[in-house]
Amino acid sequence: MRWLVDYHSGVPVYLQLVQQAKSAMATGTLRDGDQLPSVRVLAEELKVNRNTVAKAWAELESEGVIENRQGSGCFVTGSKTPLRRAVRNERLAQGVDALIIQAHHLQVTDDDLRALLDEGLRRFHQTRRASGRGELT
Amino acid sequence: MSPTIDVQDLVVRYPRGEAVKGLSLTVEPGRCHALFGRNGAGKTSTLRALLGLVRPTSGQVKLFGLDVTQHEAEVKARVAWVPDAPGFHPWMTVAEVLGYAAALRTRWNLALQEHLLTRFELDLSAPTSALSKGQKTQLALVCAIAADPELLVLDEPTSGLDPLVRRQFLEAVIGVFQEGDPAKKTILVSTHLISEFEGVVDGFTVLSGGRAVLSTEADVARARYCRLRAWFDVDAPLGVPMKTVKPVSREGRMLEFIVDAETDAARGWLTAQGAVRIDASALSLEEIFLLAA
Repeated sequence: MRWLVDYHSGVPVYLQLVQQAKSAMATGTLRDGDQLPSVRVLAEELKVNRNTVAKAWAELESEGVIENRQGSGCFVTGSKTPLRRAVRNERLAQGVDALIIQAHHLQVTDDDLRALLDEGLRRFHQTRRASGRGELT
Repeated sequence: MSPTIDVQDLVVRYPRGEAVKGLSLTVEPGRCHALFGRNGAGKTSTLRALLGLVRPTSGQVKLFGLDVTQHEAEVKARVAWVPDAPGFHPWMTVAEVLGYAAALRTRWNLALQEHLLTRFELDLSAPTSALSKGQKTQLALVCAIAADPELLVLDEPTSGLDPLVRRQFLEAVIGVFQEGDPAKKTILVSTHLISEFEGVVDGFTVLSGGRAVLSTEADVARARYCRLRAWFDVDAPLGVPMKTVKPVSREGRMLEFIVDAETDAARGWLTAQGAVRIDASALSLEEIFLLAA
């Protein structure tokens, strides 16, 4: 997969990597057992500090979505989300708030926003089915 | 553990005037810190004081918890630097330069030396007089990294080099220097080419007139300063009630300004004022430097 860093987003670089990894896992670009690039390789490629990549991988590991196998690297552990429901909802709520504010700025009505969300979900599940992963439960 | 770099109230005075006027700076082990500043801001004098090449007029410079003026030999064994224009004896070959450098150091990592020579495709038998500016900088970096220092000081390392050499240089610093024990490998870099080091620096200090005018974490700085552009159906409103860091620009229906830490408040205000579109973009380190310097 292609990793990107956007210095104009205002989001800490390590968090951008965490978010990209998660979204790649959600869409099936990264699957159970897939190996993440090593800290050194990705740091050199993106021209970022190794500590930044190491911090991102440590964050993913502490959330239980990747596993650091000593000596052989970091691997995706699976689609099971170890976070409690409340924590997950809290994380999502920020994104939802940002979306609502943006929709308001763009003068998108609530109904249009809901329709867009439904359409987005439909496409998401279609992609997942196409990549052979089935529906989220 | 002591900070790798601990500078307190440093003053460096030359006969022609004061170059550094009371600078304090702390860098913890394993971090990459940058000094940004225009020419004459005091960057090189600060580095020279750190390296023991110039005696502080007053103030204190400690590396690894040791006063540089009192523990010169011990400190120098743990530091390596790459000057902006490396000079070598022109009659020496690359191999001789490396042998000479290794003889002066207490530690020398031959495996790293070989790895870097291959990476840079440097010819051991070439006389240094035949090397290009880029190859001289590469050789200086090999000498610095092979010495296995805890602190690597880079003084305008990539200025005047072509883009490919600049990229290789940066990759070697990230991939090879930081390889050993990342928690102990500290970098201090002085540079004009801020965008090149954007992702590498953990924190930075902007120097101006011999003083630190801004010292912060890179991520914190990018989250703090935000350029907002908003468009309205009618003429843009006057007077932005948030803290801005540059004159507000207002052209007809468009309003543009940079907020300091109040991005959300500014967005809310713009919405309340009836903005039909708002673009927000965090400032890059280079833009932040231009505001501060």
